[in-house]
Amino acid sequence: MTRFLSTRAKKIYEWIEKRYHISPLIEEAQRSINFALPSTLTRQNKSRLFWLGYPYYYAGAITAFLAILQGVTGLLLAFHYVPSAVGDPGTPTEAYLSIQTIMKAVPLGALIRGIHQWGANLLIAALAIHAFWAYFRSPYRLGREMSWFLGVVLLGLALAYSFSGYLLPWDQLGFWAATISVQIMRAIPLVGDFIAQILLGGTTLSPTALTRMYFYHVCLLPVIAVILVGTHLVLVVLQGVSEPEEAWKPQTDRDAQIVRQEGPLFGPFFPHQIMPVLIISLVTLGAVLLLGAYAVQPPGEPANKFLTPQFIAPEWYFLWAYGLLKWVGWVYDLVHFVPPATVLGVDLVSAKVVGILLATAIFLVLLLLPLVDRGKEVRTLRRPLKTAVGVWAIGLLSTLTLYALNEILSAQLSIPIGTINLTLGSVVITVPLILAVPVYVILRLHASKTTDGTARLRS
Amino acid sequence: MNRRRFVETIVSLGIAGTVVSFLSLLMSLLPTAGAGPEEGEVDNVLRYGPEKGAWYSDKSGTEVRFEDFDQVGKGAGVLWRRKIPAIVIRVDESKLRGATATSGLIAFASTCTHLCCISTWHLDRPSEDVIFCRCHDGVFDPYDVVKDVTANGAEYLGAKVIAGPPPRAAPLIPIEIKDGKVAGVADNLEIYAYCG
Repeated sequence: MTRFLSTRAKKIYEWIEKRYHISPLIEEAQRSINFALPSTLTRQNKSRLFWLGYPYYYAGAITAFLAILQGVTGLLLAFHYVPSAVGDPGTPTEAYLSIQTIMKAVPLGALIRGIHQWGANLLIAALAIHAFWAYFRSPYRLGREMSWFLGVVLLGLALAYSFSGYLLPWDQLGFWAATISVQIMRAIPLVGDFIAQILLGGTTLSPTALTRMYFYHVCLLPVIAVILVGTHLVLVVLQGVSEPEEAWKPQTDRDAQIVRQEGPLFGPFFPHQIMPVLIISLVTLGAVLLLGAYAVQPPGEPANKFLTPQFIAPEWYFLWAYGLLKWVGWVYDLVHFVPPATVLGVDLVSAKVVGILLATAIFLVLLLLPLVDRGKEVRTLRRPLKTAVGVWAIGLLSTLTLYALNEILSAQLSIPIGTINLTLGSVVITVPLILAVPVYVILRLHASKTTDGTARLRS
Repeated sequence: MNRRRFVETIVSLGIAGTVVSFLSLLMSLLPTAGAGPEEGEVDNVLRYGPEKGAWYSDKSGTEVRFEDFDQVGKGAGVLWRRKIPAIVIRVDESKLRGATATSGLIAFASTCTHLCCISTWHLDRPSEDVIFCRCHDGVFDPYDVVKDVTANGAEYLGAKVIAGPPPRAAPLIPIEIKDGKVAGVADNLEIYAYCG
């Protein structure tokens, strides 16, 4: 351990060691960190195609880096923000004014807020890529179920973060996005109102709700996040980065020869693997700085509970859910389905409850995926159904996002709303299938062609 | 029961009791009446709403006057009792079904029964005589007043949902005209509290 240290650093280390005996811990950590990453995967993919997939390996690292950046900028913003929403509807509250102060008076305030804003957006984007990458490559089939469970919970946590943060400026868009979310939450059968009251201190957005949201955003969620992200990362250190098992074993004599001649291409995590992480983090930092400096979005009009702004839409990563709500309503109209008022006091089939049930179902399916999807095959191209479902999901999320913009598109393109709804509504149904079915068919054929031969897994 | 077992039982019960009593502190998270300012006297006169870009925008906050609604189809977003958003419309009385207008005027609560956004009149869809919600494209027909039931089982009259996700009709607000001012009649405020 001490061989890299200078004399002075060695003395400090010895001072600590004498008192706390940390050397076994450090050695264990070193052993874990030096876990060599597989190199055969890169060699098997000499083609340029591999490099298209390469950045996805680092989506998790980018997410972690952005999370730290969010912590730092959030800490600085917390020095100036005032979580008070007392005031007449439509007039600037203290919360709103403190954001104005940050933007206009605080030295570098606009930049810090810009970084925080864009950091949040990029974090969600990186997280989405990280999640889909994990979905397609099924690492939970190689003993990483806990990482997957934690990951799904962290995905929910990131959305809770952005939801609470979006409300803090107490401007029109944040207020109405939160109002809609709270009303959706209230529609949860039987317990909805109770949950809203516990979380927000009421069933509508009041100054109390802002105080609580601020508490969640800067106190409760960070504590949970640090614990869960910490565990998620410790698991990576303990288990190493996931690769298909076959990547470890040269399948052909030629591969074995390459391994003998060239040695590991990637090498151990530290220092070889940390280098790309640092490089990609710096690139991300550059992007966030540029976006934060030149594209920071000032708060909109002060919140007014008596006036819903025109072309209201949530942030881009919630658009699919917003589109889903609209789309379910459109389908109901199309088939002239009128939900009965209540079944045992619950609007079970109203569009919003259907939306909640679908969202819960998505979350549960994601969470429980490792329990359902068992087996040893982890290669994306050998799993036709799962890969096709993933492609379908990406298609569905994209088209629902598009559907959410129906009003805006109708106004911009001067197309009647009925035509837009019919077009986009059909797109939501067909395009994901048009994408997924060929993927399934092609992979199915591919899989049946290569069922025997050297490439087959032991299973 | 030996002494060891006794101590184990007592300690377990103690820990369980402590956890339960601390959980009960979560009661403090429930809504409180709050120490906010007392609500002042509220009258029933409708006042123009804060919508921008409408014909009544420069009258925002002032009392709604009967003579402002000089032609059929003219409508405005208003506020009733300082907290209930509503829409007042001059309707063609011969086409109105299910209710009678007051000197040609009719009013509906404009808080959408879907997710509590504020609906508008002629602002988003100027060519259609519908109450329209911007959030999820809910459409209510002010010419078709129907009976409906709130989640609490109270019956009321309201503008029928003709498209989109709203589960219930937009509640009718009975109005009267006093000295040229348009006022709501507050007989059962419960039916307007679905978003409270």
